[in-house]
Amino acid sequence: MSLMKNTLDILKSGSFDVAESDYKKCGYHLEVKLTESQVRDFAQAMLDCGFYIDFVSAVHVTPCFQVVYQFAHFDEACRINAKAMANAQGEIPTICDIYHGANWHERETHDFYGVVFTGHADLRTLLLSEEDADLKPLLKHADKLVNVETITRKSGGDAEMKPVKKTKEEQTAAE
Amino acid sequence: MSTMTKFETTDKHRFLLNMGPQHPATHGVLRVILEMDGEYAMGIDPVLGYGHRMQEKMAESRTWPGFYPNTGRMDYVGAMPFNHGYVALIERMAGIEVPERAEYIRVITSEMNRIASHLLGIGAYVLDLGAFTPILYAFDDREDILDALEDITGSRLTYCYYRVGGVLKDIDDTFIKRTRAFIENFRKRIPMYNDLVTGNVIFIKRTEGVGIITADMARRYGATGPTLRGSGIAYDIRKSEPYSVYSHFDFDIPTGKNGDSLDRYYVRICELEQSLRIIEQALDKLPDGPVLAKPKRAKLQEGDCSFSVETARGVLTYYLVGDGSEVPYKLKIRVPSYSNLSLLEEMCTGMLIADLVSAMGSLDLVIPEIDR
Amino acid sequence: MQQIIDLIQTYSLLRMLIAFLVLIGIVFLNAIVMGYLERKIAARIQRRWGPMEIGVQGWLQMILDGVKMLAKQLIVPRDADRFLFRLAPLLCFTPVVMIFAALPFSKALYGINLHIGLIYIIAMASINVFAILIAGWSSNNKYSMFGAMRSVAQNIAYEIPILLSLLSVVLTTASFDLQKIVEAQSGWLWFAVYPNLFVAFVIYLIAGCAETNRAPFDLPEAESELTAGFHTEYSGFGFGLFAVAEYGNLFIMASIASIMFLGGWNGPFGLASGPLMGAFWFLSKVFVLMLVMIWVRWTYPRVRFDQLMNLAWKYLIPFSLVNLLITAFLVKMI
Repeated sequence: MSLMKNTLDILKSGSFDVAESDYKKCGYHLEVKLTESQVRDFAQAMLDCGFYIDFVSAVHVTPCFQVVYQFAHFDEACRINAKAMANAQGEIPTICDIYHGANWHERETHDFYGVVFTGHADLRTLLLSEEDADLKPLLKHADKLVNVETITRKSGGDAEMKPVKKTKEEQTAAE
Repeated sequence: MSTMTKFETTDKHRFLLNMGPQHPATHGVLRVILEMDGEYAMGIDPVLGYGHRMQEKMAESRTWPGFYPNTGRMDYVGAMPFNHGYVALIERMAGIEVPERAEYIRVITSEMNRIASHLLGIGAYVLDLGAFTPILYAFDDREDILDALEDITGSRLTYCYYRVGGVLKDIDDTFIKRTRAFIENFRKRIPMYNDLVTGNVIFIKRTEGVGIITADMARRYGATGPTLRGSGIAYDIRKSEPYSVYSHFDFDIPTGKNGDSLDRYYVRICELEQSLRIIEQALDKLPDGPVLAKPKRAKLQEGDCSFSVETARGVLTYYLVGDGSEVPYKLKIRVPSYSNLSLLEEMCTGMLIADLVSAMGSLDLVIPEIDR
Repeated sequence: MQQIIDLIQTYSLLRMLIAFLVLIGIVFLNAIVMGYLERKIAARIQRRWGPMEIGVQGWLQMILDGVKMLAKQLIVPRDADRFLFRLAPLLCFTPVVMIFAALPFSKALYGINLHIGLIYIIAMASINVFAILIAGWSSNNKYSMFGAMRSVAQNIAYEIPILLSLLSVVLTTASFDLQKIVEAQSGWLWFAVYPNLFVAFVIYLIAGCAETNRAPFDLPEAESELTAGFHTEYSGFGFGLFAVAEYGNLFIMASIASIMFLGGWNGPFGLASGPLMGAFWFLSKVFVLMLVMIWVRWTYPRVRFDQLMNLAWKYLIPFSLVNLLITAFLVKMI
């Protein structure tokens, strides 16, 4: 566990908003909340600590995209989940020159959501074909789009899933 | 998939070579655009997406049990761990306890699937190097596994056997007998593979020192699985973040030394034996009891959750974001070959085309998994 | 009957014409037999059955495959050089028939006997590389071009050890005449028995494997790298002729080996070797050699191109040169 402590200290001293999380419930050890400008510094810190990149992805919410980075370590169990909100234009700095593996993940995210990774040299379509470049298949319809608060884990909340039971209002509405 | 290539060839000594999407060495519909100088590949640009099915969109457009069958259809060679990751993710999110017998069955079937996948990987790799015979020997052994798994899961390739809370169907004595017979038989066959392939002078000459991956490279690209372990890093999700009941078993993580194609190949050969050990122990310790907790439909809680498993090719991570409904708000599927392939450019630039084929084959790619 | 034989013996042109017609038949028959044997043996090596459907043990399979090939469309790629593209398979096939004419199947069974038979055969055999180059170049396909280029480099490199190892035998017999070379080995004293010539024999076998583009030296058609190499763009009987010529070349390679080193039509232990028995012994030797090559092909992986070149220039050529010198020295001494 020393690695986790060390990383926690390093991240805290780098003024990142980092918190330990319950691995049993959410599958990662540390949770980091980043601002748009911190992304590159954070990635550099991760590389210096010897983490490998697991994936980069995004979630379409209001007000804008939440970009998710996940890192883990080869030597010890330490999985780090970092979230950063893209700016209003859907832009966020690239980390593909720090973590070269992020290149494809960022291209994919650009394909699916249209997140623009500023500084990325090569944002050609990767998985979608060129004529579908403007499709952005994972963007949510307006009626399904939720606020970022909705998908954030409630601290100390009940981990049990709620069973599917229609409320009386819904039942009457269905009838 | 992008029809535009990033190469702007002005040097008249260089030319573009289009390898794939129907090329024998790319194992499916992968296309690699090569900028060649004679027989040397000076520029490499993989083009993905020919088998793209938008699995992540499918996950977002149905309730979570509806995504079960899709999980078996990404990595069709080693589908069990993909099943495993998904059901374990939902279980983690919902806090569902799984009966111990079900966990043991999951481990047994996952490991058998891993052996089948490695056998195909090894056979196809040697086929890439021009030896036709070993793949058919590998198919011979793989057939035993597929037959045994077919009996209990109902399918031979794209499994959909695990359920949230357990497995679909209990295993019977026939399966256990068959598996034990397979283990005994297969132990005798592994030395044969070593005699036929591993010790061959031509094979060693073709693979030694070809396509070296350093630990630093693996870190920057997120390479995992045998691709990483060939470079001497003993990283395996089954040990580092033990899921299911893997912590109950005694097994080793084989590693290589130089990180070349030969090491990656040999790691796979050694993992066959480790998987056999796990299956043996699991069969010995197999507890009695139910195999499926009472299934329940439930809404996914708000918040995110991730689950990583070790597939035959490396780390698979499912990352799910729930918004309180039955339908996942977002499901990211991080597949191992995707990251493994992304280091091809750095690994192979400046190589002979024959070495490129050797290095690419040693990554053991499954293209539908990359394209999802 | 006697009249016909007299007629044939009087008019050598007629004799050659008949011989050529028969030889074309033999070349195709050889391809059918070898194709079938290769598929069956490969299947046995790989623990499967091979062709089983047509005829007993599938023995009609290759004939049906030939019919299928004849029925297929000959596709010429749009940007290909049409004339050369069509010419290449013929250019590959014709020398094979011409070489078959000069092979002594037995003491009396041959198309034509030349005093410089060996030189003739080697000269004709080198047309093969020309055909492959034309096929690769005219297809206007990068993979074909790769295959053709590799083939030229490979054939040039491996013709040298072949010539040098055959020269050792020529030095010993002081003749290029294949019949004389075979006669010189009558009884059981085949040339492969002498240590120096045995080395030449081994060098010849390895180099011959490479010369006929067989695995593990099948670089010009390396499937996993170049899809199919020089014949990527060929379909129908264009491809068929290449396949027939490949088996023909394999036959020639094996028959040169058995003529030069294994006593040709001489029976083992001085057994009878009349016109028919001689042919029997000759063919048995040739087929044993060809089966060995099939066995090798289905066992080993493919070498890399630079390794292939290294093998020729750094090992086979120096060894065969030294061997030639030793042979010359021995011939002078004895």
